[in-house]
Amino acid sequence: MADVPAKTARAEWGTRFGFLMAMIGAMVGAGNIWRFPYVMGNNGGGAFVLAFLTLLFVLAVPGLMAEVALGRYTNKGVIGAFRDVVGRGGMVGLGIVVLLVNIALMSYYSPVIAWTLYYAVHSLLFTFTATGFEAEPFMTGLFDNAALMIGLHTVVMGSIAAILVLGIRRGVERLVVYAVPALVIALVVMTVRGLTLPGASEGIAFTFGVQWEYLTYSDTWIAALGQALFSTGLGWGIALTVGSYLREYDDVPLGGGVFTALGESSIGILAALAIFPIVFAVGIEPDAGAGLAFVSLAQVFPEIPFGGFVAILFFVGFFLATFTSGLLITEVSVTTLAEETEFSRTQTVLGVCGGIWLLGLPSAYSADILDYLDFVFGNWGLPLAALMIIGVIGWVLGPERLRLLAVNQNAGIHVGRWWNPVIKYVIPAVMLFIMAYFAWENFGSAEMIGGMLVIVLFPIIGYAIMSVVEGRGGQPDTAEIPGGDD
Amino acid sequence: MALTAEVLGMLAFTLLAFWGVAAWALVRTLRQEGRKVEILERQERMDTYSPAALAELREWVENNPDDPLVDEARERHNECVEVLRQTDRHFYDWSDGEIDRLERV
Repeated sequence: MADVPAKTARAEWGTRFGFLMAMIGAMVGAGNIWRFPYVMGNNGGGAFVLAFLTLLFVLAVPGLMAEVALGRYTNKGVIGAFRDVVGRGGMVGLGIVVLLVNIALMSYYSPVIAWTLYYAVHSLLFTFTATGFEAEPFMTGLFDNAALMIGLHTVVMGSIAAILVLGIRRGVERLVVYAVPALVIALVVMTVRGLTLPGASEGIAFTFGVQWEYLTYSDTWIAALGQALFSTGLGWGIALTVGSYLREYDDVPLGGGVFTALGESSIGILAALAIFPIVFAVGIEPDAGAGLAFVSLAQVFPEIPFGGFVAILFFVGFFLATFTSGLLITEVSVTTLAEETEFSRTQTVLGVCGGIWLLGLPSAYSADILDYLDFVFGNWGLPLAALMIIGVIGWVLGPERLRLLAVNQNAGIHVGRWWNPVIKYVIPAVMLFIMAYFAWENFGSAEMIGGMLVIVLFPIIGYAIMSVVEGRGGQPDTAEIPGGDD
Repeated sequence: MALTAEVLGMLAFTLLAFWGVAAWALVRTLRQEGRKVEILERQERMDTYSPAALAELREWVENNPDDPLVDEARERHNECVEVLRQTDRHFYDWSDGEIDRLERV
């Protein structure tokens, strides 16, 4: 392994449950609550479930195993892990790409967390069941109030900084072991409430009705692919970072792969069961995205018995889902920068959170900017980051080596040789396909141009930074782990 | 509106495929964790590979003698063999015969 001076002994998860909840807390976000139920219902219901489940097992489960295993094998954050694999030099900049994508992602995700915080606070004030409440003006009132949005964005990043400063075990773990179960309980209670409403069965029929012909539509598979890859957070550096804090005898494939992918998706399924019976019982058309959470649902609470309490369950649960994701997304940068620089963890947290806060101001100011960045990074930035991580495992380290040395060591399930070609060929090919597909679909648009700039500039920037940083003092080292032949 | 058998069947399948598998994985991994803790309370070290995984590791070491990671792989293999020989309680399902037949590489 390359020499990186260690400042202190590396932190570890205090419990297995803490690690598992950190994985789920990181991966369950806004997409599970406001996107998954609608995408499922709108793409053939049960047919979508089958497509999604297939892709989850073929791509997301093996991919997450690989990413967690790389973190556990190197015991380092993103940049350190890349250095261990590719050796010192400009190529470590591929890790910088992951870092830049994460920071960009968090810069516009923080305002999304801010929305959920605002709605959670108002649910506690019973605003949604107050006389004269109107959902749409309430939402646009928030989006148009730049000062309020910036204030909320500041509160979110300040809260994340306050928790991250406490460290992995005392900060992140202590929060997620309560927040994730609380989210599940909130959705379960909401599901029970929804299913006991007259007319709730229409929501179940919309979501779980099987339209087999959808399995023959490419759109269904593209939607399932996007959900399977991006909802699980594969290739964002989160699984790598969380995995780097595993203890000596911890398992990777069962907890980091199977449980994370299935558990995270299960919350999307639960959200569908919680949301659509209520929406259909009241006779409102379902929507996707912010419209579903902040307009459709906000409208139904006054119309159902105990609506004020259901609103609290939903919006507080929604806030917990987004907040824990934000926490772990930010931790990716904190972990690796704290390792790579002379700064203490506290200084790094403040620097990273301050930087993200600054970069997030445009998205907090304008929802249009947020939408643009979400489209660009969702369609090109995140696949690029995933390509970097899975690519470096598949084509530099070699999947067979990682499988033997990290995946199957102390493992709760045995991962066979079938895993190697999935990591080496299938996932990178899918990532390239996604980037090409969305470029083709949006050819010539401002979003596509932005996406192409990310694809071209981020690797160049990363390579340039690390060439300067790592190249000082002579020729770059050869890789610790030169290319695998498997 | 009455739900059709197909919708109910898909609902049951979905719950089983997602919540069922996730719950199985959660319970299994937490039980394994409990067992590991129990073993480590009685002895300092624990076997790190299952019989199938250790056999694959051994095969790889023998087939890739010039690989830059072969020393690390050999070390992990031999460490597991030593632990299996020196300890009474094992995490994986090793028989005495299998342990007797193990050799360092």
